[in-house]
Amino acid sequence: MHAGRWLLWVVPLVLLGLERPAPPSHAPAPDPRALRAARAVPIPPDNPQTPAKVELGRRLFYDPRLSLDGRVACASCHRPEFAFSDGGKPVSVGVFGRKGSRNAPTLTNVAFRRRLFWEGRSPRLELQAVGPLTAHHEMAMEPEALAQRLSSIPEYARAFQEVFGEPPTLKNVAFALAAFERTLLSYDSPFDRFVAGDDSALSPAARRGMELFFSERGDCFHCHVGPEFTDDEPRNTGLYTVYPDVGLARITGKDEDVGKFKTPTLRNVALTAPYMHDGSRKTLREVVEHYNRGGEPNLNADPLIRPLGLSEREVDDLVAFLESLTDTRFIANPALLPPR
Amino acid sequence: MRGLAIVLGLGLWVGALAAPVDLKINLRVGEAPLEWGRIYQTPKGQRYRVDLLKFYLSELALVRPDGREVRVGGLALAEFRRGGPTQGVSVMRFEVPSGEYRGLRFDVGVPRELNHQDAATQEFPLGVNSGMYWAWNPGYIFYRLEGAAFLEGREEKWVIHMGTDAFRIPVRLHDLQMRRVRLEVPPRGTSFVLNLDIARAFLPGPNGAFLDWRQPRLRQLHGMSPETALVMSVVYYQMLNAFSLAR
Ligand code: HEC
Ligand code: HEC
Repeated sequence: MHAGRWLLWVVPLVLLGLERPAPPSHAPAPDPRALRAARAVPIPPDNPQTPAKVELGRRLFYDPRLSLDGRVACASCHRPEFAFSDGGKPVSVGVFGRKGSRNAPTLTNVAFRRRLFWEGRSPRLELQAVGPLTAHHEMAMEPEALAQRLSSIPEYARAFQEVFGEPPTLKNVAFALAAFERTLLSYDSPFDRFVAGDDSALSPAARRGMELFFSERGDCFHCHVGPEFTDDEPRNTGLYTVYPDVGLARITGKDEDVGKFKTPTLRNVALTAPYMHDGSRKTLREVVEHYNRGGEPNLNADPLIRPLGLSEREVDDLVAFLESLTDTRFIANPALLPPR
Repeated sequence: MRGLAIVLGLGLWVGALAAPVDLKINLRVGEAPLEWGRIYQTPKGQRYRVDLLKFYLSELALVRPDGREVRVGGLALAEFRRGGPTQGVSVMRFEVPSGEYRGLRFDVGVPRELNHQDAATQEFPLGVNSGMYWAWNPGYIFYRLEGAAFLEGREEKWVIHMGTDAFRIPVRLHDLQMRRVRLEVPPRGTSFVLNLDIARAFLPGPNGAFLDWRQPRLRQLHGMSPETALVMSVVYYQMLNAFSLAR
């Protein structure tokens, strides 16, 4: 009898996916007021921030000479006015008009990402930047060609000598870019002001949306965790039954990883349409409706993805909350815009 | 040779009789020396050109007549690019006791214990300046072959980026059964010359699958991706026999 009763409990728990050691994301809903964002930026000891390095990184970030055809900069796909995402393009276009297959994510607070890229398999910004600099459909530079090109530009030759004590290399280009990227900090949305104690910062709809977001009913907070609104974990949200882009499985080769993509941050999300790894959802409302329907049938779908039964008004409320995560000072911050 | 780096050390045999050996490579297409810019044809009739080949060579050992090994270890990055030499290119120098050997073995790839360290802190031939770091995929590209295919007048770039621990290629060029292989290392040293037939990658597999550049996704062959896994494993299988001792 004991065993039977025990099973009665275990079976539904297993079905809900709760048999795994509870990750922090299964903690109870936090009080949003506890989600103060501004924290010390983690700086790796081998790449200390200096003003000269950050400034060099900023120049490089906006400079198309870093690409094979001289036309594509980091900022071509990570545009400041769209919170450093790709402004309406579902997938990005690199050198010679070559198209990628993925949507360029925002770089908002990217200093706090524990894992980079949509599968999350790059551990640090210094290594991530090597990807776009060398990728065939992005900037397509060989390390030697990049070093030669930058060495032939006197201002760069000087700046690299000053900052790194050596001529430009792919590696120190990536280190300077990483230093600049760690300054892309955004903590001044209506939501942040609400958290800081300003009750009038959120509209009534946004506030209702916030309650839903942080409730077991809306359940968004289990993956979009904490003040950065992400757990940095790869998850399948049932976007498709057959994923054209296999996601994490591209790296592991495992069936169970098909369709898993890293939970993106939601900061400034109203500026970063279209949505999802392939830019297939045009509006925030489409995204929320996807969650409300419970996604498409998919064996790998996260157990949290299920029909939510939200009313039309509740869907609107969630959208209003997502829109309250926009920091307009961030995108106008002169320190982050192209150098003069 | 530029871009050639050698990290020796593991189990190096530093005896009084240590003799220097220079490991050299000839790039071949079938039997013939590779010529940059020349247009070749795959067994399936697709026309192509080769622009670049880079690969890691590691875990080198010589096999003695009694079957025991002299381990050299080491890690070298071999680089061949358009315009550069393709024949007799030195890729690794090492020392072994002089004497007679029945062949050698090595891996194309980076040993696992080096493949997962923070590439931002690694020195050449590892690290990101090697041009062998994927960035989105942990670890290094072991074997990187690139070129262009000519498809109905269009020129399309293709790449084979083989890597991840599962795709380290064991190369075994020893023969203790038939004793057909005999490598002599005199006290003053010598060089070993290997042929690498790069066109092996384009042979169809036992299942008939082959690298068909008409399919855009097969022009970008990377790591473990399931979309290209079948063809990648065919390339891997064919690469097992791509090296031979030059006579
Ligand atoms: C051609 C468009 C394009 C260019 C140019 C480009 N990116 Fe990206 N970026 C993308 C896309 C698309 C992704 C997502 C790719 C993926 O995950 O597979 C991405 C992802 C990133 C990420 C990961 C963010 C996260 O949260 O995981 C960072 C950081 C980044 N890019 C920085 C840069 C830097 C620095 C440069 C310049 C060296 C750059 N990008 C150039 C399109 C681009
Ligand atoms: C199971 C974890 C999980 C849950 C629960 C979840 N999300 Fe997501 N969210 C993700 C992942 C993973 C993605 C990216 C999926 C992809 O691109 O395939 C994503 C993407 C998004 C995006 C698009 C962001 C962008 O930049 O493209 C929005 C908006 C979003 N989620 C909002 C929500 C809301 C609102 C809820 C609650 C109703 C919610 N999410 C619940 C994991 C989750």
